[in-house]
Amino acid sequence: MKQSRNFSWPSLAGLLLASLWLATPASSETVAPVIDEEVQDLKAEVLNLNRELFLLEEELLFPANTQIAVFVSMDVGEFFSLDSVQVTLDGKDVSNYLYTDREVTALHRGGVHKIFLGNVKTGDHELVAIFTGEGPHGRDYKRGATVNFNKAIGAKFVELQITDREIKQQPEFFVREWE
Amino acid sequence: MRPGGGNRRVQVVATLVMVLLLGAGLASARDADGLVVQDPHFGEVLFYFYQQNDFDALTHLMAAQAAGRVSSHEVEAELLRGGLYLSYGQHRDAGKIFNRLLADVSDPVVRDRAWFYLGKVRFQRARYGEAEAALRQVQGNLPPGLEAEYVLLLAQSLMAQSRFAEATTVLDGWKGAADWTAYTRFNLGVAQVRNDQLEAGARVLDRVGTMSARTPELASLRDKANLALGYARLQSGEADQARAVLQRVRLQGPFSNKALLGVGWADALQDNYRSALVPWLELRDRDLLDGAVQESLLAVPYAFGRLDAHGSAVDHYLTALGAFDNELSRLDVAIGRARNGELVPALLRADDPTIGRWYWQLDDVPDSEDGRYLYQLVADHAFQDGLRNYRDLLGLHDHLQEWQDKLAAFQDMVDTRAEAYAERLPPVAARMQGVNLATLRERRDAVAERLTAIRASRDVVGLATADEQAQWELLAELERSPAWSHPDAAQAREKQRVLKGLLSWQLDADYRFRSWQQGHELAALDEVLLESDRGMQQVYAARDQVPEFLADYRARIAALQPRLNVMQDSVLAVLGGQQERLQLYAVSELEAQKERLLTYRVQARFALATIYDRADAQVAERGDLQ
Repeated sequence: MKQSRNFSWPSLAGLLLASLWLATPASSETVAPVIDEEVQDLKAEVLNLNRELFLLEEELLFPANTQIAVFVSMDVGEFFSLDSVQVTLDGKDVSNYLYTDREVTALHRGGVHKIFLGNVKTGDHELVAIFTGEGPHGRDYKRGATVNFNKAIGAKFVELQITDREIKQQPEFFVREWE
Repeated sequence: MRPGGGNRRVQVVATLVMVLLLGAGLASARDADGLVVQDPHFGEVLFYFYQQNDFDALTHLMAAQAAGRVSSHEVEAELLRGGLYLSYGQHRDAGKIFNRLLADVSDPVVRDRAWFYLGKVRFQRARYGEAEAALRQVQGNLPPGLEAEYVLLLAQSLMAQSRFAEATTVLDGWKGAADWTAYTRFNLGVAQVRNDQLEAGARVLDRVGTMSARTPELASLRDKANLALGYARLQSGEADQARAVLQRVRLQGPFSNKALLGVGWADALQDNYRSALVPWLELRDRDLLDGAVQESLLAVPYAFGRLDAHGSAVDHYLTALGAFDNELSRLDVAIGRARNGELVPALLRADDPTIGRWYWQLDDVPDSEDGRYLYQLVADHAFQDGLRNYRDLLGLHDHLQEWQDKLAAFQDMVDTRAEAYAERLPPVAARMQGVNLATLRERRDAVAERLTAIRASRDVVGLATADEQAQWELLAELERSPAWSHPDAAQAREKQRVLKGLLSWQLDADYRFRSWQQGHELAALDEVLLESDRGMQQVYAARDQVPEFLADYRARIAALQPRLNVMQDSVLAVLGGQQERLQLYAVSELEAQKERLLTYRVQARFALATIYDRADAQVAERGDLQ
């Protein structure tokens, strides 16, 4: 049995593996061991530059005196599963947006989607929104909502809101102007 | 700006909670605290945030704050920005925001959240004592979702300072979600074992290792706990206890290889090599890349040797040597590819750039020859973090390139607008000159004055129509005729008198309505004049402002262009450096794998040589005897 003393290495390797294993605690999150200051600096600078470019783009393409932004929001939304929203401004289709599941989830959680950003002249306008999706009992559902609004000098924001009407167990669709 | 109505509840504070929870690999918590979105642009930021699109959320939030569009959510916006910075790896900026909030805001709810996130920032920067100090400032105003995270962070901060007893107290005293506790207990148990507190650590790990697991993640954590405890027992020579714990690990889970190896060693420790062969032989056909499988290739012949089955031992050593050689040549190819810079881009080939940084984790390595070598690499936190930075930089590079293209388009747009302005200005100016609002206003005043006079004298003829006026004039003219007083004209005079009376009566009857109508028309005229005046003012303003606006746009574009160029160069430079670092890291990991295989190969050769030597010695011994 003298050969047994010659083969002590596997048990050492096993214990090495064990100690390596124990040296690696499970992390419930990624804890960055090294903070890359260089990358942080660069990212901060790019984020600031990005903000300025973003504002320039918006001011250039959609100046405040002609700007109109249309938002879609959802309050609860148990009676309606949103597929798409079509927006018509003064009889002209300006947006026809098909929502992904991820976007619908974001709306459910309180996110607000800017479905249209454009320019209109000052004065009176008509906005029509058509909501398409699945209503109560899995039926196809299509409803419209209209608002006539006056565009003044400042930017105009309109909200298309999908809410639940508990009493009727039906969805409701509103178009609202932000004061 | 306020909404027209609506009672949409949003989980604003949950934003940050979600960042943290998803980072933990747990289901995201739902923070019950909500508020009404009062600025649509804030809701828009949440829309991006909830889709885990941190970069767009940050961009929109920063722009909205700069444009003053989230004034109703000043504090929430700052908390959100801090959280987004944190999830985007910008710890320093996040820390600045939370510190500022603590200095400026007295609301205990906001302050608690700020202390919490400040603790989080410090923890991530490995400043554990400071993290603990920040977390200790929390006064119990955190929502339930954050509370769980808070306890975990505090316990981890204490553990990182080797204050295990205090960490245990924090955890034991807390009644919260089992998922959170399980993760923390595991870390605590491992830390105690490493700190030579085996029995204390074993008690904690045993609780995790025997828990009921409702999710695959928890089942995996349970396996991990059993594995850690099993090896700890092995290290202290407690074979029976080690075997019992290791046998709890699922046979098909990601930790089964190591568990099988350990069970074999538990048997071997008690000289029960026949039993040890059972789990070790089970490992023989598994992926050789796993360290446990590699070790089993040597453990099997070792066990045969201990059972005096030297022929089988030789066969298995030869098989192991063949497998090691084969694997070593494949590793050489993989190392060559990594050195050529093919590795890092390949890892991100199937990447979805819309996934937020914090949520992003490279789970699937590319389906290639090198792929199988990379599992260990991508499981490494430091490598994943480096890869995140690399991915961020790639994203920034793409964004900057988009801006580069857009900026050129903006410049064209401004030039085109300037040309159009120069073209349109002369005809517009000519038309404006032709419009004399003052004359129009004078004419209106004259009409108003006339109406006032008519009303004052009740001049019913003054409001007659043109036809009626002509008729009235004709009848009056008859009275001025030289023949008017002739006796033969008596009949005509009578007729004129009747007609005049009739006309006068009609005019008198219509007077009130006509007077009101004229007043109404005058008011409408006033409105039109006012509108025209406003329109003219707008045209004048536009005429004067357009050149100013265009000059402003030109100046901004001119200032941004060089910054953009410099930034693109910087990103490319840092990107290159980061790729190099990752490459070096990958190569070193692959080299380590190779080194381990080489060591095993040497061990196998040595063992084989020893068996051959012994066999030769035995043959020689027999020859001597003969």
